[in-house]
Amino acid sequence: MTSASEAATRRTRVPFAEAVRSRSLGNGARLFVLENRFNPTVSLSGSLHAGGLWAPAGRRLLASVTAGELSKGTERRTKLQIAEDLESRGASLSFSADASDPVGADIGGAALSRDVDVLLDALTEMLRLPVFPEEELEKEKKRLVGAIQQQQDLTSARAYEAATRRIYPAGHPFHRAPASERIARVEALRREDLSSFYQERYGAATLILAVVGDFEADRLLDGLERRLSAWGAGPSAEIPAPPAVSPSPGEETVPMPDKASADVAMVEPSTLARRDPDFLACSLANSALGQSSLTSRLGVRVRDVEGLTYGIHSSFSATHWPGPFVISLTVKPESRDAAVAAAREELGKFLESGLTEKELREEKSSRIGKFKVDLASNAGIAQAIDAAVYYGFGVGYLDEFPSLVSAITKEEADSAFAHRVDPEKFTVVSAGSF
Amino acid sequence: MTTHAPNSKSEIRNPKSVLGAFDFIEEKAGIREFRLKSNSLRLLLLENRVAPVATFAVVYHVGSRNEAVGHTGATHLLEHLMFKGTPEYNREKGTAIAAVLEALGARFNATTWFDRTNYYETVPSDALDAVVKLEASRMRGALLRDEDRAPEMTVVRNEFERGENSPFQVLYKQTFATAYREHPYHHPTIGWRSDIEGVTTERLKEFYDTFYHPNNATAMAIGDFGEEEALAMVERHFGALPVSPKPIPRVHTVEPPQEGERRFLVRRAGQVAWCALSWRTVQAVHADTHALAVLGNILGGGLTSRLYQALVEKSLGLSVTVVPWQFRDPGLFSVFAPVRPGVEPSAVESTIREGIAQVRDEGVTEAECEKARRQIEAEVIFDRDSTDQIAASLSEAIAVADWRWYADYPGAIRAVSREDVRRVVQSYFQDDTLTAGIFLPKDGASAGAAGEEEP
Repeated sequence: MTSASEAATRRTRVPFAEAVRSRSLGNGARLFVLENRFNPTVSLSGSLHAGGLWAPAGRRLLASVTAGELSKGTERRTKLQIAEDLESRGASLSFSADASDPVGADIGGAALSRDVDVLLDALTEMLRLPVFPEEELEKEKKRLVGAIQQQQDLTSARAYEAATRRIYPAGHPFHRAPASERIARVEALRREDLSSFYQERYGAATLILAVVGDFEADRLLDGLERRLSAWGAGPSAEIPAPPAVSPSPGEETVPMPDKASADVAMVEPSTLARRDPDFLACSLANSALGQSSLTSRLGVRVRDVEGLTYGIHSSFSATHWPGPFVISLTVKPESRDAAVAAAREELGKFLESGLTEKELREEKSSRIGKFKVDLASNAGIAQAIDAAVYYGFGVGYLDEFPSLVSAITKEEADSAFAHRVDPEKFTVVSAGSF
Repeated sequence: MTTHAPNSKSEIRNPKSVLGAFDFIEEKAGIREFRLKSNSLRLLLLENRVAPVATFAVVYHVGSRNEAVGHTGATHLLEHLMFKGTPEYNREKGTAIAAVLEALGARFNATTWFDRTNYYETVPSDALDAVVKLEASRMRGALLRDEDRAPEMTVVRNEFERGENSPFQVLYKQTFATAYREHPYHHPTIGWRSDIEGVTTERLKEFYDTFYHPNNATAMAIGDFGEEEALAMVERHFGALPVSPKPIPRVHTVEPPQEGERRFLVRRAGQVAWCALSWRTVQAVHADTHALAVLGNILGGGLTSRLYQALVEKSLGLSVTVVPWQFRDPGLFSVFAPVRPGVEPSAVESTIREGIAQVRDEGVTEAECEKARRQIEAEVIFDRDSTDQIAASLSEAIAVADWRWYADYPGAIRAVSREDVRRVVQSYFQDDTLTAGIFLPKDGASAGAAGEEEP
């Protein structure tokens, strides 16, 4: 039994800025660890600058394939040996480079705390000693071609991809080439392409690793340093500015037979990047407009009142580079025009009068509450630390976040959103059985 | 939303009065079971201090298993209407349920499945009382207005349509509709389209009044709170709700034995063929459940598993998903695999059947068995990293068995031997109990060239 006063003490937490132990290595790697002894597990989140932006235009997929192939064999062990060592302990480790963030490649991992060394050994080997076996790449190419075809069956993917082709020029990291072109590029991939992308982009200088869980912090930092300190620094962290985009808005329909539900993507290029000073204000405004199908303005109108959709969302995709602003919805084909008109009307009203005081208050408490809830697991904390450092805010951002959100005014949120979203610039693509 | 603090403190000063409202039933694996004396609501408490958050969930022991033709999908449609309000929480008052939860920063939702409907919220722990109050309000106070049903029906119909877009979902629905002929697992939880469209508000109300009662529900709180504090909240908000006026109806339909392989074929526009094989197995509380779970990992748990090696590594399938379904009534053991374009679906099917035959004829190795046991053991420990994950696992356990089944699960998995794994394959994986389904892209894209033209 816990008394109320004990409960109060318990909830007074040590700030993350103090609790997180960090170490920077001579080669530039930045390590962050946090002891959390409640459960015998360890979670790891990391990143380095090896995203699609760094691959040649027209061959952006090199980034994601290289990240994926890091786990396919090292100088010490085959893919199967590594997988056996991890899977036999219920541990997992993955590398990926998602097209939505052209700058970074992500690392994720988890293990029971008794297996933390097994996890870190595998991580180090994959990062430092990958061999990219020929036969594994050939297998992966076949799988990827199938996966691209499988994805062509999704109305959501087809609508979004077509929209990006109207907005971003070929070669731009956000331009999604037609499936046939992407398949041809996959088929043309050679082992040497992966090795040279790896040699150019993988290095300690941009590496961030955050590890949270049941371990002794100093011992873990020592272990990471021992494994990583001799790794070469590689490229520096300088990120080129994104090219200006000047799309001509339009409408398009992608016909797909036998689809009971259609997808609509309303897309425009945004200028909002994660580090912009108005990012939080803008994203708070967007939450009121379209973060939730149940409670946001678009959801209340198009789902709750009109019953036209199961899901409608709006979102920015802001990383180091500004990604697109997207309103997406699913709808039966006959109701598409009504749903798009309703969404446009709600957006217009929102741009005209902005957030209500009640919305502002509720979105703030929502954002702060969700932030706490997201920090409720080892994995959640590790990801938050990784992201805060990746975007240059530092670990203290986790402590400051609630007050940064609280301080946002209606004027800031309204003007940020109006500045970043132009209702005349949408390209509207529908995919389905029209 | 935070005015509960003084109340709960005054309750805490007098814990006996709170404890007096409950019967303490049992403790296992840190989970403590209570029962509200006034109305038989079951309550599970699990303190977990991982972070200053708590998850509250209510599981109703009603799912699509309790439906029949004419109102299939009613449980799920009702779950949607449960967000439309109560006298205290509604849009007109500016206190719509989802808006109140959003403002708390809650991670929340509700889901319906064969054996249960569950509602859950994860919130900063100082908002626990607010969500307990909200769930109590909609246990008996849901408005269920016809003017809300009409637009929500079309929302659910779009959810149904989205499902129809997915070859995997089409296959899984057809699998159950084929493997079960008499038992209500035959129809999908989302319902048949015409039932979704046709069910009346009166029928939904009847459903609500039949099944939504404290004595047909289990509530749980997991996370950062004191026991007395949580008991006080539950007593304060749920204590006055009455027991159901009539006993909760039981499902008595039993699926008879299957006497021969069943096959189906779905031909629809699409890019990739799929293969689905399912064998009739046992109910979750059956002693063989754990051996079937271990078998599931041996066949499909990761890159080193047998079917991943046989299908994906051999470039026959694009991926493979193995599901040892666990239900209140006898379930299925399913293998789903998208076929790599250019490969005949029959090659994937025969590879899966050979994989099963190998286990039947030669058994599995001790190393494979140990790996699978350790994977499942690790999953259970990872669950405890977050309160909502524990709540999700515990909810499923309650739906198909009871919470002790969850508490006993790791021990039962540990006890599974390689002989058990071979024995369950010999017992259940017969051709006569198999349902095999194929999804074929209508234009024969599966056997065609890899390239594809943009429209």
